Amino acid sequence: MSSPAPKKAKRATSSWISVKNDLIAYAFMAPYLFLFIVFLLLPAFVGVYASFTKWGIIGDPKWRGLKNYTKLLNSELFIESLQNTLYFVVLAAIPLIVLGFLLALLVNQKLRGRNIARAIVFLPHVVSVAAVGIIFKWILERSSGLLNYYLGLLGVNPPINWLGDPDSAMPAIAITTIWWTVNGNMIIYLAGLQDIPEDLYEAARIDGAGRWQEVRYVTIPMLLPVNAFVIPLTVIACWRVFGQVFVMTRGGPQGSTFTIAQYIYETAFVKFDMGVASAAGVILMLITLSFTVVQLRAMKVI
Amino acid sequence: MSESWRKDSVYQDGSLNYGRLALYAIMIFVAIIWGAPFIWMFVTSIKPDNEVFSYPPTWWPDEPTLEFYTRLFESFPMMQWFRNSLIVATITTVLTLATNILAAYPLARMRFRGRKIVLLIILSTFLLPGEILLVPLFLGMIKFKLANTYFSIAVPAAANAFGVFLMTQFFLTIPVELEEAGRLDGCSRLGLLLRIFIPLSKPVIATVAIFTFVRSWNDFFWPLIISNTDATRTVPVGLAVFVGRGLSMRFGVIMASAAAATIPAVIFFLLLQRYFVRGISTTGLQG
Repeated sequence: MSSPAPKKAKRATSSWISVKNDLIAYAFMAPYLFLFIVFLLLPAFVGVYASFTKWGIIGDPKWRGLKNYTKLLNSELFIESLQNTLYFVVLAAIPLIVLGFLLALLVNQKLRGRNIARAIVFLPHVVSVAAVGIIFKWILERSSGLLNYYLGLLGVNPPINWLGDPDSAMPAIAITTIWWTVNGNMIIYLAGLQDIPEDLYEAARIDGAGRWQEVRYVTIPMLLPVNAFVIPLTVIACWRVFGQVFVMTRGGPQGSTFTIAQYIYETAFVKFDMGVASAAGVILMLITLSFTVVQLRAMKVI
Repeated sequence: MSESWRKDSVYQDGSLNYGRLALYAIMIFVAIIWGAPFIWMFVTSIKPDNEVFSYPPTWWPDEPTLEFYTRLFESFPMMQWFRNSLIVATITTVLTLATNILAAYPLARMRFRGRKIVLLIILSTFLLPGEILLVPLFLGMIKFKLANTYFSIAVPAAANAFGVFLMTQFFLTIPVELEEAGRLDGCSRLGLLLRIFIPLSKPVIATVAIFTFVRSWNDFFWPLIISNTDATRTVPVGLAVFVGRGLSMRFGVIMASAAAATIPAVIFFLLLQRYFVRGISTTGLQG
């Protein structure tokens, strides 16, 4: 009874339905994909292309091959900006991760007022970097600043010239950054802590674990998947540090806080050397991507 | 007080529990460290000129005054900057919501060719440092004569993938039965989205809206380079440029500007706290 003809017709209809289905799906996605392609994907590729060209603010790009890269790697200023940024990553990323975890542990304890403490620590999250930068510029001021006054009471003398001394400027930027953004990591760890089943702690207690052993053998291993995204995102954010530096020191004193993002800003939007700035952007991207891959490999996530 | 709270007292079995006492002490210390800069900013902004640099520092002025605020609003177009920020953040938020809700529906609920690859490409941009985009976007905006427009500040931010990801995740949790019931009633795909998915997704939509708004309100690098007139300049850029104008010792006015920029954000946050917490804890992205 079953002749091949109706079967074929059926297949044709079903593939027509599936094409129609695909079209509907892409129609729904079209507005977003348009924005995504025009303002994200395409610029990313153009950015990589620009890194191989000489490109000013007007006129067409001229192909230069790898010259922008060799120029950068031979530029003392760029190498310094890499070193400064690496220094900042070490100063800021480790406390952001460790302190974020410890704060989450703290506000996860059943303490009266913990919701208020959480809210206060979270508050800087909604403040723009411009306001944060100028508030800390005032707090860190050498002679009338709040921090030096209280450090003085603790016996720190003479007062530290936080933003004026090349040795203390980057630590000062790191302190500001930690105050400003540690709350994000705190909230992520807090969500992770609340997902750990209570049974695990009970089992550990039955085996005779104390408080710190509970943290060591239950909490930390259970937070491994959380670490797998907290660590890369924190480190990437630190490599990109810009606003705090721009507002507080503009890269000074003596270039001690001049970071990669600052280098890109100056090169692209002050000197209008778009090719070299793009090459610096590509190097920044390669650094953050390779860090992420190495870190996720080490954690056996990928 | 309920039973569970009694356990949290620093007294246990009639004696002082030093461990809990220490935790309370640490918590109070933490609250002071994170709260004090806000209070200091505000107190400085209401001090008269001669008290700003008083030593030792005082936590309340002898003669509180709003003089710095008057000077601030007289000398700088703060209201214009606020208006610009409001317009920019509103454009970005509305555009983000409209496009993300539409895109999340097929990604969560339809089988179509290329679904995996589209998701993968969108998500991979989470790891892309935005600095690589600045030069091409800047040159593009110049080329199409769009620099110093609200469009140029607001629209690129709507390409961010975080909302699509968050909404796709949420749509996946909506029961299939509801969708099937809607289909039996003859709902089209768009009808399903409008009548079933959107009403059920109000919390996640609110999270994306608030997150996008604050991210846009506080965005710095891109608005700094693409707007250089007061007609489009946003609050953070205005503050940064204004500090850069050599007022570096006028901390009273500067703190008034920081307070004027911060107080609305803080009120906004206190009203909508839970949405921020949800946004961060479900995506790991921090604005």
